[in-house]
Amino acid sequence: MPDRPLVKVCYVEDDEDIQRIVRMSLERIGKLTVEVVGDPMVAIDAMKRFGPDLVLLDWMMPGMDGPTLFKKMKDHDETKALPVVFITAKASQQDLDDLMRMGAVGTISKPFAPKDLPDQLRALWAKAP
Amino acid sequence: MRSGADPRLVLADRVEQLYGQMWVGLLGTFAIGAIATFEFWDQRLRDLVLFWWGLVLLVTGASAALLFAYRRSTTRAENAGQWLRWLGIAALAIGASWGFAAAVFFPSHTDEQQVFLAFLLAGMMAGGIPVYAASWAIYAVYAAGIVVPFTYVLATFGNRLFIEVALLVPMFYAVNVAVAYRLTQVFHSAYRLRHAYGKLTEDYSVLNQRLERQLGELEEARRQVEASGRKLALFADKAPIAVLELDADGRMTQVNPGAELLFGYAEAELLGSKVEEFLVLPELRGEFARQWAALIASREAVTGLKIRSPRRDGLQVVCEWTVTPLVNPEGTVIAVIAQGQDVTRQLEAERMKKEFTSTLSHELRTPLTSIIGSLQLINSGVLGELDKDVAELTAVAERNGTRLLDLINDLLDIEKIESGKLTLVPEVFKLGDLVREATVLNKAFGERFKVRFDFVGQMHSSPQDVVVHADRKRLLQVMTNLLSNGAKFSPEGGAVEVTMEEAGPHVRVGIHDRGPGIPEAFRGRIFGRFAQADSTTARQKGGTGLGLAISKRLVEMMQGRIGFEPREGGGTTFWFELPRHIS
Repeated sequence: MPDRPLVKVCYVEDDEDIQRIVRMSLERIGKLTVEVVGDPMVAIDAMKRFGPDLVLLDWMMPGMDGPTLFKKMKDHDETKALPVVFITAKASQQDLDDLMRMGAVGTISKPFAPKDLPDQLRALWAKAP
Repeated sequence: MRSGADPRLVLADRVEQLYGQMWVGLLGTFAIGAIATFEFWDQRLRDLVLFWWGLVLLVTGASAALLFAYRRSTTRAENAGQWLRWLGIAALAIGASWGFAAAVFFPSHTDEQQVFLAFLLAGMMAGGIPVYAASWAIYAVYAAGIVVPFTYVLATFGNRLFIEVALLVPMFYAVNVAVAYRLTQVFHSAYRLRHAYGKLTEDYSVLNQRLERQLGELEEARRQVEASGRKLALFADKAPIAVLELDADGRMTQVNPGAELLFGYAEAELLGSKVEEFLVLPELRGEFARQWAALIASREAVTGLKIRSPRRDGLQVVCEWTVTPLVNPEGTVIAVIAQGQDVTRQLEAERMKKEFTSTLSHELRTPLTSIIGSLQLINSGVLGELDKDVAELTAVAERNGTRLLDLINDLLDIEKIESGKLTLVPEVFKLGDLVREATVLNKAFGERFKVRFDFVGQMHSSPQDVVVHADRKRLLQVMTNLLSNGAKFSPEGGAVEVTMEEAGPHVRVGIHDRGPGIPEAFRGRIFGRFAQADSTTARQKGGTGLGLAISKRLVEMMQGRIGFEPREGGGTTFWFELPRHIS
């Protein structure tokens, strides 16, 4: 369990509408600092710059999907240890189990409840190593 | 099979033989009696001679009547014993009539006539042997009738020579009876043999008939086997599946053209080779060998065995195999028949279908995430308090967004249903309550199309009290589908009527709309997946075209039926029936 509270979240998501909702939810309700990245190809650079406590990844994105990005994060010292939570519309339990096996801290299903999202993230943050 | 002769039949034959020869005896008795009457005629003894002649006529006449009765009898074989006894009496009477002649004529006549009489009696005794040979006892009775009075007369005549003759006569009698006895034995044996042979012949004939019948049946069976064999060969030749015959070691002994076509190898290349060398990928051969050994050991057919096989052209095919060991009566596997169907495309289609469903559900969920998320943020109040009317509308929007999400879940449901992974949670409830709840829950949806739902016939409480045993949530889903369809296709300002009625052991719910009706060409596939009569409808009014497919499957899973019919005066009635629950 991390010894500091969750403050900075980096969210990688291609859908602008959802970006807006998540940002609003996390900033307004969760009082968190949020960096939203729309292009997964530049996400690692953004993470290095921003230095988040936790990364929130969409699964299906054009160019590079969430799991691939997650693997690439392991190649960089600055990002390899970051706790990752997937936010996904993938429905089957097997998909979710696959993500957990890859090392994700947790998964949040789409559609999510924005008013509950900060609490969900904090709960997962508490479980992170 | 029976053996030996039936003693009753042997006796009947002997009696038949005796009666068969009786006329010879009677004729002899009559003729010799007439000669004797003539020879012994003497005015002094006229009454006695005439009495004797009358006696002979009476005895032969009575015996002839007996013979006649025997010939007329239809039960002589069954009553052979009785007929034998009657014959014994007749023989004794005939014999005694000659004994009487000896007793009365011997003392009263001249020496020449005495010699004649002695000769006559000896002749009658000897002549009786062939006539009565079939029964020595009857002969003994007959001869005794002659001998006893004659011996007595000789013995008491007072002449030494005659006394000596009287001693010889019983010996002569004994010899004759012995001969008759011997002859009777011979007859008996002959008849037994005849019957035994007859029975053998009969048995043989029965056996022969049975053999012929069995031969006929075998022949018919052979024809059927041949016909089946031809059909099977034809089937194997023309079947679009691979058929292999293998020995217990897994060597191919026969392959059909379907197998050649599927794997690209010629029959000549495959025959005699082990199946795994050609048709199993090298990395799978170890596993295959284990499965083969298990198959041979269990001798039980295996179905649904999927094996990825290399083709001659380097491509791979996945076949689903049914493998059947053929076992002889000793329990040894003599051959293994393997029938393989190419399921490569089917598996690919299944994979694509799964991918498609997954993608579709993602594409639908993503915009919903924005819609529901936005509305939730607004409704949560973090963006500031809302005007009452606005708050009401955003609440409606959020609620319906959630309903849309449910629809997407339906998409996943049909996948689950079709793959057999959906399980129902049945409970007992009043169907009327559920129908009413469905109309209330879907009211907002109907209002979008300016259509109201009327649960008519609410005065009749009886059908609404009907209890069913079904999955409540899933039945609500069915109702939602049917009501939303009714709303979508009804004219603005119209009403979709909902009814309930009892239908035998079932209860029927009807959803009646005044829409344009179902086009004739579409009726057959209306309950199919992604069924839309008009693709523009989907765009204008929404819907995935899955609703009816899901509803049909769900209702059927609840032991019900679903259908539709044109409504009088225009429109369509969709209905479903569920069995009434009887507690």
